Amino acid sequence: MAKVLEGPGMGLMRKWGIHVPNYVVVTSAEELAKLGQVNDWLKRSKLVAKAHEALGSRFKLGLVKVGLDLDGAVSAVKEMVGRQVGSITVSQVIVSEMIPHKEEYYCAVKSVREGNEILVANCGGIEVESNWDRVKRLPVEVGQQPALEALEKVVKEAGFTGPLVKRMADFAGKLFACFDNEDAQYLEVNPVVARESDGELVALDAVTLLDADAKFRHPDWNFQFAAEFGRAYTKNELDIMAIDSKIKGSVKFIEIPGGDTAMLPAGGGASVYYSDAVVARGGKLANYAEYSGDPPDWAVEALTEKVCGLPGIKNIIVGGAIANFTDVKKTFGGIINGFRKAKADGKLKGVKIWVRRGGPREKEGLDAMRALKDEGFDIEVFDRYTPLTDIVDKALAGK
Amino acid sequence: MSILANKDTRVVIQGGQAGVNAARRMAEFCYLIKRPLNVEAFVYPPDAGKTNEIPYGSGLIAVPVYATIAEATKHHPTINTSLVYIGADRAMKAGLEALDDPHIHLVSMITEGVPEKDAKLLGAHARKLGKVFNGPSSIGIISAGACRLGVIGGAFDNLVLSKLYREGSFGVITKSGGLSNEIIWICSQFADGITTAIGIGGDAYPGTDYVTYLEMFENDPQTKAVVIVGEMGGDLEERAAEWYGAKKRRIKLIGVVSGFCQESLPKGMKFGHAGAKEGMKGEGSARSKSEALQRAGAIVPPTFGALGPAIKEVYQELLKSGQVKEVVEPASLPKLPKTVEEAMKADEVIVTPLIRTTISDDRGDEPCYDGYPASELINKGYEIPHVIGLLWDKRLISKQEAEIIKRIIMLSADHGPCVSGAYATILAACAGIGLSQAVAAGLIMIGPRFGGAVTDAGRWFKYAVDNKMSVDEFLAYMKKNVGPVPGIGHRVKSLRNPDKRVKELVAYVKSLKINTPCLDFALQVEQVTAAKKDNLILNVDGTMAAVLVDLGFPVDSLNGFFILSRTIGLIGHWVDQKRQDSRLIRLFDYLVNYAAPKRREVPPLK
Repeated sequence: MAKVLEGPGMGLMRKWGIHVPNYVVVTSAEELAKLGQVNDWLKRSKLVAKAHEALGSRFKLGLVKVGLDLDGAVSAVKEMVGRQVGSITVSQVIVSEMIPHKEEYYCAVKSVREGNEILVANCGGIEVESNWDRVKRLPVEVGQQPALEALEKVVKEAGFTGPLVKRMADFAGKLFACFDNEDAQYLEVNPVVARESDGELVALDAVTLLDADAKFRHPDWNFQFAAEFGRAYTKNELDIMAIDSKIKGSVKFIEIPGGDTAMLPAGGGASVYYSDAVVARGGKLANYAEYSGDPPDWAVEALTEKVCGLPGIKNIIVGGAIANFTDVKKTFGGIINGFRKAKADGKLKGVKIWVRRGGPREKEGLDAMRALKDEGFDIEVFDRYTPLTDIVDKALAGK
Repeated sequence: MSILANKDTRVVIQGGQAGVNAARRMAEFCYLIKRPLNVEAFVYPPDAGKTNEIPYGSGLIAVPVYATIAEATKHHPTINTSLVYIGADRAMKAGLEALDDPHIHLVSMITEGVPEKDAKLLGAHARKLGKVFNGPSSIGIISAGACRLGVIGGAFDNLVLSKLYREGSFGVITKSGGLSNEIIWICSQFADGITTAIGIGGDAYPGTDYVTYLEMFENDPQTKAVVIVGEMGGDLEERAAEWYGAKKRRIKLIGVVSGFCQESLPKGMKFGHAGAKEGMKGEGSARSKSEALQRAGAIVPPTFGALGPAIKEVYQELLKSGQVKEVVEPASLPKLPKTVEEAMKADEVIVTPLIRTTISDDRGDEPCYDGYPASELINKGYEIPHVIGLLWDKRLISKQEAEIIKRIIMLSADHGPCVSGAYATILAACAGIGLSQAVAAGLIMIGPRFGGAVTDAGRWFKYAVDNKMSVDEFLAYMKKNVGPVPGIGHRVKSLRNPDKRVKELVAYVKSLKINTPCLDFALQVEQVTAAKKDNLILNVDGTMAAVLVDLGFPVDSLNGFFILSRTIGLIGHWVDQKRQDSRLIRLFDYLVNYAAPKRREVPPLK
């Protein structure tokens, strides 16, 4: 699932015929002032300015300002651009018109195993969060489109009446079309509002999650996906992501500040069991990492250097299950090179390394690891006869 | 017994190199269980019409490649299973093509990164047709002693260690490909091994999930217990729990779930497989999953480490109740033949070498000439003549000798465009022939009449010196037994019009005050022959030959000095013609003496 920021998200909805407020994404106050000269609505409407970044709690951070005129919006942009929040620097601000309305509604489409589900409620905003039972669902089977009658039926069930039934059904149908055609995994519009001027339903705020795996068939997805955890990726994370995107197999790296147990395990499945074992033993993870799919040794070496560079670590867990086709000797060769480089750079002082692994050329790989002892590394090496996560138990035995 | 994959499973693999690699692993398994290769065909349009060579034991099996599934199943009607190794952007089309073929009942997709929408469509399509779609991102399916689909099971040694050559009593279902081998291994260490292990793939919505496979295992009498390895995210484990708890089940269910670390991570941070994502409203956590499994009566070890002992306990109960019997292992198992390189490394074979070399070795990081690394020769000031000495005569020649060789090469590097060699190269260059062939055309001219007399001259001068012949004895011997003396005589040069190259070389060698018996003898021969006829002088071939024999070079290498040095000129002529973009040339009629019969009538064919 890849999160998309409001600007591109609203762009996708508008593409599928959903009314969205007028908006511009700007990178400076000057740009907004110039846009104000050519876009009437910026002068006419009340405006809202929001930092256009993957940040949670923007309202609390003062990164959302409402009820502004153009001058107010220009100064809001000036104030927001360049603000530093954690590791994120605000570089874009989205300025959109406020839509005068009385009622708020809710509409979403989500992916489920049997197909997809359309969700509607005749309340919106925070009200729907506390009245989740008012959300009505319409399942749509894989490969099917919702029939208009079915849409109207669920809308009525949700409590819509009169001309709103047709309008909400139409809105939900368009949202589904957008979801289906844009390979979305989750589309949530909250609130949907009825514009006072003409009664049209407008998507005021939305969460857009797309399937990044489908990017190959959407050449118009010219936007960046936002980091999923409410913080920007660190330089080290971005470095590894850049390597990951161009190799056979994969390498993954996420930093967790404050931990003392560094992770360098193999496999998307085993890596999580290793992390679980660390937490279960009362350890503190310093990172998440994983390599799999027989990646080239230089990629594993780069990952190893990042792991060795984590501050304050005491143990490194080089764990792994019995590989199917990842060459243990080759990938361990990359890890060994990374360890040597780190040691030459003065890292790994007082750090103990724990190894457990099996798979193609396991003996050669494990022997090479054992040989590191002679080079002065503090390393313990175990083979397949030691259960998977026992090295974590041994490493954290003192805790 | 087993599920999904058995002794009758016949496979088509859709894909290129990744598919071939999988077929190799599958062949290793077939060899281990002494069954014929279960891969019947490949479907990969770019290679259609070719065959892929799959090693089986010590032999190779040629497996045909087709453009479509329909062609493959037409030629191999026993095919009932497809493995998809096609890229994510074309995977759905490939999967649908396989599902729609009436012969095929199981499609397992290995491809990773398939869009969720496509995966759901493939799963739904298979269910509609009453077939099984496994994956995407599946590591494969393996039934012990019966059938391997994909690389699941790993290397040959692991197949043996994990006792995959014969059936056990435990079924395995995992999302993680990497953990599948681990669980199989655990089942073989703590119990009697597996019946079938299935990698369902780590995506959010696998084509077939735990419940379907649990139902199949429930109906397989050989399977007594099933191990499922789950992950946070989605609701597949909850569904499995629901199925297990719905009524009394014959099989025991053992389950582990990963993702407890999530609880102590910064909010929103998640990792693992694509499917390992939190539900929208908090469902799908590792805790809720393992609690659901426990409530349904499944055995849920608290950690992955406790899985082995839990499996052991179940196995002991099965033994006690007589549901399973102690396994008797086969007395011997086939060993995977080693490659020659592996066997040699292990000191297990002696190979009679095909060729023998005594001059060079490039198996290290750089070539060594007669044992000396090339870079070291360069760095210590040695030059091309020394390399010639090492490779042609296996000795490190002196500075003085090197200087002589250098001069020989410089003097005979070229002799203008009109001589046979250069002319042939130019002719070829003008006909548009490439460098190596055009130079070879020039080199072909080197023989008894052009440049190729060095070896023979050296041989006979040496013969005379070795046998302490006088010049008269030598000339008489040559006249009687050989003919004209090689190295004596020139087409245009004579005593009055001497060859400056010869004078130069002789003068230099003489100035060195070294012992040159051959050269001295050759010069004496010249005195006699040139007195008889003006152009019977010691020519450049003869001079080179005599000097080189005096330096100790083997007689058979002597023509090499002319070939080597003249190659410099021939390359120059080719490049020269090429640079000028010379046009095709042919002889003019007036340069030919047409001595053939006059034109006449052809008689009727008899």
